[in-house]
Amino acid sequence: MTLSFSANTQAALLLTAPLIDGATESHPSLLSPTEYRKVCSLLSRFDMQPSDLVQRSSAELPEQLKALVDDSRLRALLDRGFQLTQALERWQARAIWVTGHTEETYPGRISTRLPDHAPPVMYGCGDRRLLELGGLAVVGSRAVDDWLTQYTEDVGRLAAQAKMSIISGGARGIDQASMRGALDAGGSTVGVLSDSLERAALNREHREFILNGQLTLVSPYDPSAGFNIGHAMQRNKLIYALSDAALVMNSDFEKGGTWAGAIEQLDKFRLVPVYVRSKGDVGKGLEALRQHGAIPWPEPTRADDLLQLIEKQSAEPGSPAEQLSLL
Amino acid sequence: MNYNTSHALQLLRLATAIPNATFREDQEEAVRHVVEGRGRLLVVQKTGWGKSLVYFIATKILRDAGSGPAILISPLLALMRNQISAATRLGVRAETINSDNETEWLEIENKIRRNEIDILLISPERLANERFRHEVLSTISARISLLVIDEAHCISDWGHDFRPHYRLIERIVRTLPSNLRLLGTTATANNRVMEDLKSVLGSGLTILRGDLNRPSLILQTLRLPDQAERLAWLAEQLPKLTGSGIVYTLTKRDAVQVSEWLKSNGLNVEPYTGETGEQRPELEQKLLDNRVKALIATTALGMGFDKPDLAFVIHYQAPGSVVAYYQQVGRAGRAIDAAHGVLLSGEEDADITYYFIESAFPTRDEVKDVIAAIEAYPDGLSVPELLSKINLSKGRIEKTIQLLSLEAPSPIVKAKAKWQLTPTRLSDQFWQRAQRLTELRRAEQKQMQAYVQLQSGHMEFLIKALDGDPSPMNSTYPPPLSTTIDESLLHKAISFLRRSNLPIEPRRQWPTGGMPVYDLRGNIPLELRPEEGRALSIWRDAGWGKLVAEGKYVHGRFADELVEACRLLLERWNPQPKPVWVTCIPSVRHPTLVPDFARRLAAKLGLRFNPVLTKTEERPEQKTMANATQQARNVDGSLALTALSLPAGSVLLIDDMVDSRWTMTVGAWLLRKYGSGEVFPLALALTSRG
Repeated sequence: MTLSFSANTQAALLLTAPLIDGATESHPSLLSPTEYRKVCSLLSRFDMQPSDLVQRSSAELPEQLKALVDDSRLRALLDRGFQLTQALERWQARAIWVTGHTEETYPGRISTRLPDHAPPVMYGCGDRRLLELGGLAVVGSRAVDDWLTQYTEDVGRLAAQAKMSIISGGARGIDQASMRGALDAGGSTVGVLSDSLERAALNREHREFILNGQLTLVSPYDPSAGFNIGHAMQRNKLIYALSDAALVMNSDFEKGGTWAGAIEQLDKFRLVPVYVRSKGDVGKGLEALRQHGAIPWPEPTRADDLLQLIEKQSAEPGSPAEQLSLL
Repeated sequence: MNYNTSHALQLLRLATAIPNATFREDQEEAVRHVVEGRGRLLVVQKTGWGKSLVYFIATKILRDAGSGPAILISPLLALMRNQISAATRLGVRAETINSDNETEWLEIENKIRRNEIDILLISPERLANERFRHEVLSTISARISLLVIDEAHCISDWGHDFRPHYRLIERIVRTLPSNLRLLGTTATANNRVMEDLKSVLGSGLTILRGDLNRPSLILQTLRLPDQAERLAWLAEQLPKLTGSGIVYTLTKRDAVQVSEWLKSNGLNVEPYTGETGEQRPELEQKLLDNRVKALIATTALGMGFDKPDLAFVIHYQAPGSVVAYYQQVGRAGRAIDAAHGVLLSGEEDADITYYFIESAFPTRDEVKDVIAAIEAYPDGLSVPELLSKINLSKGRIEKTIQLLSLEAPSPIVKAKAKWQLTPTRLSDQFWQRAQRLTELRRAEQKQMQAYVQLQSGHMEFLIKALDGDPSPMNSTYPPPLSTTIDESLLHKAISFLRRSNLPIEPRRQWPTGGMPVYDLRGNIPLELRPEEGRALSIWRDAGWGKLVAEGKYVHGRFADELVEACRLLLERWNPQPKPVWVTCIPSVRHPTLVPDFARRLAAKLGLRFNPVLTKTEERPEQKTMANATQQARNVDGSLALTALSLPAGSVLLIDDMVDSRWTMTVGAWLLRKYGSGEVFPLALALTSRG
């Protein structure tokens, strides 16, 4: 699994990724995902690709590029080739892979379902094939009581029995409870992290699961990047995109990441059916999500019931709000 | 980037300090290629062609145009001092960070951070160092404008020169975007290596390749099995040679020994090894100025050493491959009409090369032990912790860790101070590669043997081995050096080899984790330590080593000659206060061997022999313990005194072999604690571990 990728991905990393291999981040002002997408569509009009940015001299590139990104900023970003090799070395040493949105290895569900929001690059650790299998997304807050932890672990276990993956954010609380339930029952899980992929990859509790193909960790953010509330919000849509259906375990009312992510699904993306927990004290947040169209979780207790439920739903998936090609 | 021919020429004249200098064939083309960013470039030229001028001039032009600094990666930076002075004349701020200038690191690192360096010269090992990358390199890595890979042939597995850290360089080159300037340089690359380099460096690679032949070299080979014969030959021939040169040895120990021998014969020579440290620039300068007849050196004096009038390169032992040999001998005679390249070969060459080949990779068991030890600790283990967990030598543990961590993906990674497992397993390719490289090394050794046997056509043989063009050969050689050996010098060399004075340094601290049975830890108080001791030989060396080994394993009794040799050693050594009694380290396995010897020595010295130490139980032999921590534990609690009151006064403590020194340390501690005077260890042989 030696890292190898095209000049397109090199360009995507040079333009958008912090390429952290040091105590302090040191790089010119990066292109935002939106800026990057604009650069891609401009190049595409001239029948070019991001790779042309590293393979051609600036004279050969379209003049209009300068209007989008200041030339000296673009040069400074593209001149980071050595820094790129250093970051890659760091990731490789920790068994972390990276893939760009033009690569075949890029998660297909993210590029097709989120054509306008697919991150330019994705980092990960573990078997990539897990990202293509779908499964049940489980979302909720970090602070949970014992009953809800137990309940969530049970859902994870049921998914494992149904041979269905659990997709979650890998955070404390609901995320980890669902993953633990699934992993301990021999099931597979995907953790979509918003920070510290590098640390998670080296966590000894994850090692066996990653090695035997039960656990895949993935993130759109630099493996060394620390917690950032904006990132945590942004990656919610990736959790939904990788799944066939989503179950919200608990949520604040009109605030917090879980709420924002679920509302974004219900109102905007509509990628998958969104369920809310029915059992126990569901609270104001889940009630309000129901008002927005979330479906009460039918509380399946047998693997067959869960399978039937998800299969029925994925036969009639919600259509993405927009369908524009990235390039 | 614009390139200006007359400006480049000005820079060349500035750098060389020669007012009418002109570029050599291809030299200007190389500078232009790099400056204009015309894609990756590989320059294959023999030593002294002026490869460093290419990257220094290119760096100067790039920096003047506002580009970021350049990085040069080279395996042996200590030798770039004379190139760096060319950079200084150009106004190129070149700095190197290597194991020899550790005191300057902080200052240089700050210069890097302040953008006050134009070209940074670092070793591949430094590039693999987590702290350096994290804290220093990361501050400039986004602005590097040129990457220079010196000794680029090391990237290829098919090169003669196996340097584990070039795996890292290979990956960097493979993932480097094509818009970054890349220059590779090497003096030796046969066709196979060239093919490999083409595939790693990419299809758009430009190659500038020069002629390898060195017509001024007079090559000859001479087989002299005994070290004494070679020492005698050197002592006779060296004074007859004009000019200064290099004598290469395979090991550091040989470099020091040959140098001492030649000095004792009145020759002006100095040893030069990896341990020479801060004296290296001074010694190099002495050789450059012909103020020494020769440096007696290991390959630490190698790549990049540039002395156009080097008059001879003599090998005391045969290196492992003809390509390595050609690189070393090719340093001679670059700017003079005739120079000598003499390869002496002896009986120990094959053993040394065999050892280097067989120990280059960890064994499957070593890998298994290291991984299993780390696996048992969720937070990982440091090297000292590994030493106390597994019975492998420090060198072997470090070698295993190094080679594993250079894999990609790697099964282990350094996280802070500890080695931690990653979520990946070691691929089978690792073992296939290790096997392929080991076989390649064996084939190279065979080719070297064929060279040793040659009667004529030495240069043709070397050029063919390098896939060069052997046609333009010089046939009018001056006569080679005499192959006879002076009998009186030979006798002198034999007694020299038997007169070594090898110090046994006292240990100052108990091992990490202490000695639980004796309940000892921390520093050993000065008054309970042994004094500096002496060993008569190194295990199986050319002096007394063989006789010691025979005594131990063939006859079960040490020869009387060894008693006499020890008496002479003591006479030269003259420890003070003079020992007044003799004792020895006991053994359950060989109960009489050492006491018998100690008794005879005591008698010869006219001192009382008093075997006051005893073994409390039989333990595994120390030599089966692979590292010092394990050896210390193995001695812990195993020695005791048979008498409660000891003779007063200073004592000679005898043992046959000394390895980790823990047995001697504990013996001396017991003796001193119970009232003896100063303890002087004396051993028949030091075992030296690789």
